[in-house]
Amino acid sequence: MRAEPERRQRLLQMAAGAAFLALAVVLVLIVVNSSGRGGDAKNIGGKPDVDRLLAGIPQQKMVLGDPKGPVTLIEFGDLQCPVCAGFAKEILPPIIENQVKNGEAQIDFRNLTIIGDESIPAGAAALAAGEQGRGWNYLELFYRNQGDERSGYVTDEFMEAVAKAAGVENLARWNQDRRQLIGEVEKTTAEAGKLGYDATPSFAVEGPGAKGLELLGTPESTGALEEAIAAAK
Amino acid sequence: MKTKGFPSEWTLQRAIAFAAALGIGVAAYVAIVEAGGGSPVCLAGAHGCATVARSSYSHLAGVNIAVFGIAGYALLLAGAFFANDAARLGGFVLALGGFGYSVFLTYLEIFKIEAICQWCVGSAILMTILFLLNATRLIAYAGTEERARPRARRA
Repeated sequence: MRAEPERRQRLLQMAAGAAFLALAVVLVLIVVNSSGRGGDAKNIGGKPDVDRLLAGIPQQKMVLGDPKGPVTLIEFGDLQCPVCAGFAKEILPPIIENQVKNGEAQIDFRNLTIIGDESIPAGAAALAAGEQGRGWNYLELFYRNQGDERSGYVTDEFMEAVAKAAGVENLARWNQDRRQLIGEVEKTTAEAGKLGYDATPSFAVEGPGAKGLELLGTPESTGALEEAIAAAK
Repeated sequence: MKTKGFPSEWTLQRAIAFAAALGIGVAAYVAIVEAGGGSPVCLAGAHGCATVARSSYSHLAGVNIAVFGIAGYALLLAGAFFANDAARLGGFVLALGGFGYSVFLTYLEIFKIEAICQWCVGSAILMTILFLLNATRLIAYAGTEERARPRARRA
């Protein structure tokens, strides 16, 4: 058997072209995915997803779900925390769509600020949105537009843009409330510390089937949270 | 047919078929578990598999990427049964695409999802092996005539 030099050369040229193209595509994909890291007040995205996720679910301050729901899942989180954002996007939606929507459980978000100083005003801004029944919209939108940790993106402009996108109607009142609620953020952070929590997100659950407030730490799957809710019923 | 310094094409084809069959197994497991509403089980109690499986990157156009993986591995397996330039170039391009996409997915796991799925790592290793095997096959045997089948009967 004899190699045909021209055919071989043509094939190898095509292969080299394909390899070059593949390299370029992978580099472009990585660059596209590493850019647009959020924290842009002029470009708040994710509103349709958040509206769809929270549609029809009652909100009272930072509690999402029917207040008569037998189980309360408490989340201690930091708005600057990327893992919390990951939970908001990947782990919690099935819980919200099922256990919270069907009235089985409610989720109570409390601030545990560990990332940096900017986490405190960010957390207070969420609480202020909660005063107008838009706390979870604020929380979910903040996470979906989160910038890099401690990169300075948590400005008044950014927080106001998130509040507007979250549907906070009275921005003057929101501005006033968020300054007054700083103490509340510090209070829940201290409360979490007393429970031994120093990482976010950390969860706890209480309900008729639970022995008081049961600490869950950071369950790494929706299934683990579902089991904890079912056990606390 | 054997080119000096390279394994025989028959050996490469068998190695490609073996790796592709393993890849089908890995991708099929992930796809079946996901279709049943669960998440792949990580070994040694790790939880990265569930996190990666529930991430928005696990689907392309609403289809689990494991399904694309099954298709890719199946085509690579099919290409291992032919010894002509179309199979050599096709196998190389497919394995190159699979390898490139595996690099991208590994980047996503480390830097975006911040969780490692052992099944994805396994698939990425298999795709890397398949890429190397198919590249070797193309470089060594491109332009050669079709290899006579070992047990072909002639009338």
